[in-house]
Amino acid sequence: MESGEEVFREFSANGIFMKTTEVEAKLDEGNIQEAESSLREGLSLNFEEARALLGKLEYQRGNVEGALRVFDGIDLQTAIQRLQPSIVEKPPSKKGRPRPESQHAVSQHAASLVLEAIYLKAKSLQKLGRLTEAAEECENVLNAVEKIFHQGISDAQVDNRLQDTVSQAVELLPELWMQAGCYNEAISAYRRSLLRHWNLDNDCCTRIQKSFAVFLLYSGVEAGPPSLGVQIDSSYVPKNNLEEAILLLMILMRKVILGKTQWDPSVMDHLTFALSLCNQTFVLAKQFEEIMPGLCPRVDRWNSLALCYSGAGQNKAALNLLRKSLHKHELPNDLMALLLAAKICSEDCYNASEGVEYARRAISNAKGLNEHLKGLSLRMLGLCLGKQAKVASSDFERSRLQSEALKSLDEAIALEPNNSDLVFDLGVQYAEHRNLNAALRFAKQYIDETGGSLLKGWRLLALVLSAQQRFSEAEVVTDAALDETAKWDQGPLLRLKAKLKISRSLPMEAIETYRYLLALVQAQKKSFGPFKVIPQIEDDKVDEYEVWHGLANLYSSLSHWKDAEICLAKARQLKRFSAEALHTEGTMLEGRGDVQDALVSYINALLVEPCYVPCKILIGALMSKMSPKVLPVARSVLSDALRLDPTNRRAWYYLGLVHRDDGRMADATDCFQAASMLEESDPIESFSSLH
Amino acid sequence: MSDEETSNVDVVEHTTTTISEPEPQPTTTTISEPAEPTTTPPSPPETTTTTTGISEESLSKFQSSIQSLSSIIPSIPPSITFTTTNKNSNHHPALSLLHDPQTSSEISSLLRQPNSGAGDNNLCRWLYDTFQSNDPSLQLVVLRFIPTIAGLYLSRIPLRKPLAGFEAVLLALYAHETTSRAGQPVTVNVPDLSHPSLYHESVAPNKNNATALNLAVISPSLEPHGTVRSTRRARIVGVALELYYSKIHQMPVSSKMEFCEFCKVWAGKEDHDEDETDKTMKKKEGRIPLPWELLQPVMRILGHCMMGCGVKEKELLEAAMGACKSLYGRSLHDINAKGILATESLIRLGKMALESKDIVVVDHTEISISNVISI
Repeated sequence: MESGEEVFREFSANGIFMKTTEVEAKLDEGNIQEAESSLREGLSLNFEEARALLGKLEYQRGNVEGALRVFDGIDLQTAIQRLQPSIVEKPPSKKGRPRPESQHAVSQHAASLVLEAIYLKAKSLQKLGRLTEAAEECENVLNAVEKIFHQGISDAQVDNRLQDTVSQAVELLPELWMQAGCYNEAISAYRRSLLRHWNLDNDCCTRIQKSFAVFLLYSGVEAGPPSLGVQIDSSYVPKNNLEEAILLLMILMRKVILGKTQWDPSVMDHLTFALSLCNQTFVLAKQFEEIMPGLCPRVDRWNSLALCYSGAGQNKAALNLLRKSLHKHELPNDLMALLLAAKICSEDCYNASEGVEYARRAISNAKGLNEHLKGLSLRMLGLCLGKQAKVASSDFERSRLQSEALKSLDEAIALEPNNSDLVFDLGVQYAEHRNLNAALRFAKQYIDETGGSLLKGWRLLALVLSAQQRFSEAEVVTDAALDETAKWDQGPLLRLKAKLKISRSLPMEAIETYRYLLALVQAQKKSFGPFKVIPQIEDDKVDEYEVWHGLANLYSSLSHWKDAEICLAKARQLKRFSAEALHTEGTMLEGRGDVQDALVSYINALLVEPCYVPCKILIGALMSKMSPKVLPVARSVLSDALRLDPTNRRAWYYLGLVHRDDGRMADATDCFQAASMLEESDPIESFSSLH
Repeated sequence: MSDEETSNVDVVEHTTTTISEPEPQPTTTTISEPAEPTTTPPSPPETTTTTTGISEESLSKFQSSIQSLSSIIPSIPPSITFTTTNKNSNHHPALSLLHDPQTSSEISSLLRQPNSGAGDNNLCRWLYDTFQSNDPSLQLVVLRFIPTIAGLYLSRIPLRKPLAGFEAVLLALYAHETTSRAGQPVTVNVPDLSHPSLYHESVAPNKNNATALNLAVISPSLEPHGTVRSTRRARIVGVALELYYSKIHQMPVSSKMEFCEFCKVWAGKEDHDEDETDKTMKKKEGRIPLPWELLQPVMRILGHCMMGCGVKEKELLEAAMGACKSLYGRSLHDINAKGILATESLIRLGKMALESKDIVVVDHTEISISNVISI
């Protein structure tokens, strides 16, 4: 008891004031009755009013046990029953005249008194740790309110004091059930708080919504959908915790935007957590966009948005935002932004040089606490340089960029020897550099370190082996990978296997593999609606078109023209304009001796896809045979092909032929030499398909 | 370089065999934990009384399970073995086992032994059999150890240790979840506030159907797996963690602490002040690939550890905070946008929770105290 402090409390009722000291003394002696009667006399109160005042006094004095004793003296249940008929003589007609004020006020006064007493009883029990009992008392308050006000509470219907008690009880009840560990009761209490009309003010409602959302999101207790009774036609009813939590958090965000409540950054954090777990970063981006300016720093918002868009696969939008936030007047040295920007740039040849800049800036800023990001920055630099090398304007430039790329990847792995992603990147980089032995070493190391859990590792190993012309070993690897892969993920491996069979001159087995692949692809299309299993490498899904096209190529190489035509027609049904299909058509025509039409097909293919290298080579090859007059054309077409794909063996070979026919023997020798060197190192599918 | 050229296929085959058929491993180390001197070896409890809340069948399952456990851990406290005779009970004796710190820590340390994951390991067998009993309370006991099992399992993959025992337990959980979900995916309809909902009215009610909702797949459909194929490994462990999450409010704090510990190991700690000798060790530290199918359930569990119990479990909150920071670092390293968003927001929330205990929070359910007491 707070005896030391000088607190002068007084009672006030019926316009009379009275010091509490005397009553307090009586209470301290344990004389509740006497204290009560002196109050009744002094303030002309009835029994219940006196008790309620005493209880409140004890509660305020911190003597919750005393308060409980006082409240126990009141029969609150009968008090409630007495209240009901007096107020609810008839259900209030919708727009009826207001009832006589005086009677209304008196009843409300009595209701307020009783309800506050029960509420304080609940609070006292809570403070004593008797949580279940507290919750039950608190529930009594709400039950009583519902009995007294059938239609729920509307504005201006009740006085402030009664409204305060109601709001507090509404807020306290779910908390009590939670503290008592009764989660199901807590859930229904929360829903009761939010779905009935209690006339709560915005702040109170916001607090309850937030605390329920937090409960739903993190408690791990599945709430189950709300009962049918509260569901309204055509409105959205959440059916699990995440849905309900997200709905509540979005409503809270909306309230902030409408100015109904204050900005609370933690709401956005909860929403960020929930929506990113659902893969819905695109929806999250919309939420970030809706935040009013001035509530969070704009660079933070841009960066968060960039993450959202990048998570949703919209890298272009993400990069544009990062360019803003990395502008020299904003935060040009933010490491996360720099690294994300560099990564996005590393995926596109034409942004790679921009990415190199970001990565360099990241390296110079990876100091102190951020030292651990140095390896990653170097890795990004390596990836961007490697990508930039692909569009280099000269051989010299290309090899310079490639060796720089390898150098920074090597530096990165020295800093992060346990980063398996780096091992993979090095494997691909060396493979593209045609250092196949090193590539092989890294490919094997990658499979070891990841326990073979990633498909791209298996594919890298098989492709490197195929580039070394070790087809049967590549097939062993592919078979091992197939063993480790569930049926639906096998597409890319089967495609690889079919191509390996072709390389091993086993066309019948290749056809068999293609057939199996076709069945798989078609079954996949049928069996999954929107809920399909997400394949590990999403971009690398084999589609039906590819299979038909592969088969067409295969039959055409066997001169089975009829079969080839059927397969090609099937492929074209799925994709009408494609350079590959025109390419195949051309080779079929050429194979049957129809050189003019073949040339037309090749040229059409280039019209569809101007950078389609295989057709450029074929055009060059056809022209070189036509007449000496068109040799210069053939030469320029082939040079162009080599500019796009400098490691293309066939291009070098045909260019060599052109030089020879034109009488430039030295050039021809160089070309042939290049072609023969490259012959040893062509993978069966391009290494760049691995990224 | 030539030696590699000749040996590569050999390596590939080796990788596959370690996964599919672990070599038999002698079981010598199972009882190396010294028994606590204070406890006596339990005598098999007799079931003569039937309790009201728990079925006879469930009790007998528990007893046979406890009996086989006692051959692995000799020092099960009698408080667990004898609660079966306790009449007043809606409290399943398995729950005492679940919450018994001594037994749990003994099982955990047995699991951590170098060859504990082998196919013929007694403890793995016990965990497998106990889970397969299909008794919900006993299954909770197995789930309690999932953090340790999953943690050790994934970290040991590159070390080429026999792991069939761990795999059997994880596959049993996966199969259980596949059956109870009937293979169906778990989805979420992300709400759109332009439609009215349970909790709000829409200003301009949209006449369109609910098609505008964004359907999010939380956990894709499940196909049955009889063995752990390496490319499905993360998914199988992820599903086991989903099952763990669904029971997480019944899990003891110690289990969640273990989970947080393994999150750090998986993330691979970013310490750079070590010398060269440590670097070779670091390679075996347990950093694993963290694809989304694994990271997502991990984050849900961490969210619970951090925000689900609040400041009541300060130790857990701090452990979860540490785990989350490691995973944030890792998400940065992987430049995984979703991972960065989830971990970053959780760290901010955790910081707020840790700070909130220092400042006085306004209790809105407290009545306003005034010196004038009126009615």
